[in-house]
Amino acid sequence: MFRTKSGEEIFIIDGHMHLWDASPENVLNKYGQGFIDCFYAYHANLSPPEYVWDEATYAKYGADRMVKDVFGDGYVDMGIFQPTYLTDFYKNGFNTIEQNAELKNRHPDRFILNGAWDPRDGEKGLKDLEAMVDNYGIKGCKLYTAEWKGDSKGYKLTDPDSLRYLEKCLELGIKNIHVHKGPTIWPLNKDAFDVADIDEVATLYTDLTFVVEHCGLPRLDDFCWMATQESNVWGGLAVVMPFIHLRPRYFAEVMANLLFWVGEDKLTFASDYAIWHPKWLVEKFIDFELPEDIKQEFGVDLTMEVKKKILGLNAAALYGIDIEAQKQKLKNDGLAIAA
Amino acid sequence: MMDLPLPLKHMEVMKEDKANASEEVYQQLAEVYDPELDQPLTELGFIGGVDIAGEKVTVRFRLPTYWCAANFAYMMASDIRERVSELPWVQKVDVLLQDHFHDEEINEGIKHGKPFLTAFPDATESLDDLRETFRVKAFQARQERVLRWLKGKGLQEEAILEMRVGDLEQLLKKRPVAKQVERYLNIRHERGLPGDNSAEAFSHHDGTPIDPGGLQMLLNKASSTRLSMEFNTAFCSGLLNTRYGKDQQGLQNAALLKDKTKESTGVIEA
Repeated sequence: MFRTKSGEEIFIIDGHMHLWDASPENVLNKYGQGFIDCFYAYHANLSPPEYVWDEATYAKYGADRMVKDVFGDGYVDMGIFQPTYLTDFYKNGFNTIEQNAELKNRHPDRFILNGAWDPRDGEKGLKDLEAMVDNYGIKGCKLYTAEWKGDSKGYKLTDPDSLRYLEKCLELGIKNIHVHKGPTIWPLNKDAFDVADIDEVATLYTDLTFVVEHCGLPRLDDFCWMATQESNVWGGLAVVMPFIHLRPRYFAEVMANLLFWVGEDKLTFASDYAIWHPKWLVEKFIDFELPEDIKQEFGVDLTMEVKKKILGLNAAALYGIDIEAQKQKLKNDGLAIAA
Repeated sequence: MMDLPLPLKHMEVMKEDKANASEEVYQQLAEVYDPELDQPLTELGFIGGVDIAGEKVTVRFRLPTYWCAANFAYMMASDIRERVSELPWVQKVDVLLQDHFHDEEINEGIKHGKPFLTAFPDATESLDDLRETFRVKAFQARQERVLRWLKGKGLQEEAILEMRVGDLEQLLKKRPVAKQVERYLNIRHERGLPGDNSAEAFSHHDGTPIDPGGLQMLLNKASSTRLSMEFNTAFCSGLLNTRYGKDQQGLQNAALLKDKTKESTGVIEA
């Protein structure tokens, strides 16, 4: 919970967080090392210096630190776990739903547990998806279309097998599909960040909501024009947020574009913890104002009402969270440090 | 002044030749662009160094992350080879992409001058479409910077759409926008758009005219493309610095060259 100077309470849902293990014991090959090194560069490059960790801590920080950082220091009321398996790179996976569920069991009201699927897992994957609903009651899934699996170096949402999984999601009541796009070598001759496949499935499955994590960056333009046409395509702000610190002018321009094309009701705050710490992101975001010329040009504004939507109300709507009831549940769990 | 003994004098000359050769190579590399960012590799710091041994040139090439897209890396590596090969004294060019998940395949492919489809047998099409997609984005972003400046000067849509290439040539004398105009004129030329003074200064990338009343929408769209490229450039530069440190040989060489390059980036810094 963040309290403004005037005493107003702002409920915060962090839409994208991880509890990963990239320790040397878990790294399977050079790709696993390359993956965490790349994550570390994101972290070290865009965090204020006092928030930069050493590499060993970053590789495996553990549940206690996460709970303290996010809910203790970081003002976050609830966090959405977005699992990332990467079992071709890490022996026990990078962060799986089973690992995340352990922490949710300890703090059941603090986490929203999402699942994951991969169309290349065939029949078994469909059964696993059913089990995730039975065991954890998941309402959302995280997809990583750039994930390697044996000889395959990625997939598209329009693949026939992907459509089967999307159908299954509808059947099981999994409404929120979070899609991460990232560099891959497949399809080799195409742009790996191309969001055209999301466009197509968003039209096909209007009862599903597709949250494009990282707002399609670095293809913000393609994402904006797609999201403006598809009412069920949202933007997740992980990776956009940290630019507020080093590049505030770019951050303002990106936010103005997102508010103009996508709209204030379809954007969700996220830290991508542990890549970035929510504490400084939330503090800077609450204080941030769009420069006058950008407001004029786009005809949008980032008012406190808009910020409240982005910081929590939108994600609450997506996951059916009753904020007042949730506040009562969280009041006495002792995790939040009184502001 | 004391005359140097002959062998030493010879070495001095060799050293100077080598410096000239290196400068020539960097001049060529300044013409190689990252297709996504529309910036020269020399200014991005992607050139890790150049080694010259007689007629053989080795260019060390590195990227901001281990996972940078292999297809774009291949385009840049093959452009490096092509540009450096244009120097008359160069007989052989090796490109050494470093610290990349596909460095072996890419270096091997470039070394033997293989087209992309041969280097990556799983690929089904050449990279031509991808390259064209990003050249169109580059056109839009370069045009948007000029249009934005003109609007900032208070010009109305009608006046802007009436402008001719000759008017743009005049703008080359105006310092704050000269680089942007030069970059825009260059990409018009590259795309074969009319270059005579009386030709319309602004059009869509394929030369079709902008409809009256359509300028604002064109600007709105082009501004997100321009922003994506600049945002991505800022991100990539930061990641490269984190990876290789700020005092890189490549960036130093780029700084030396900055005044000499035909076309500097002209990005308006945020």
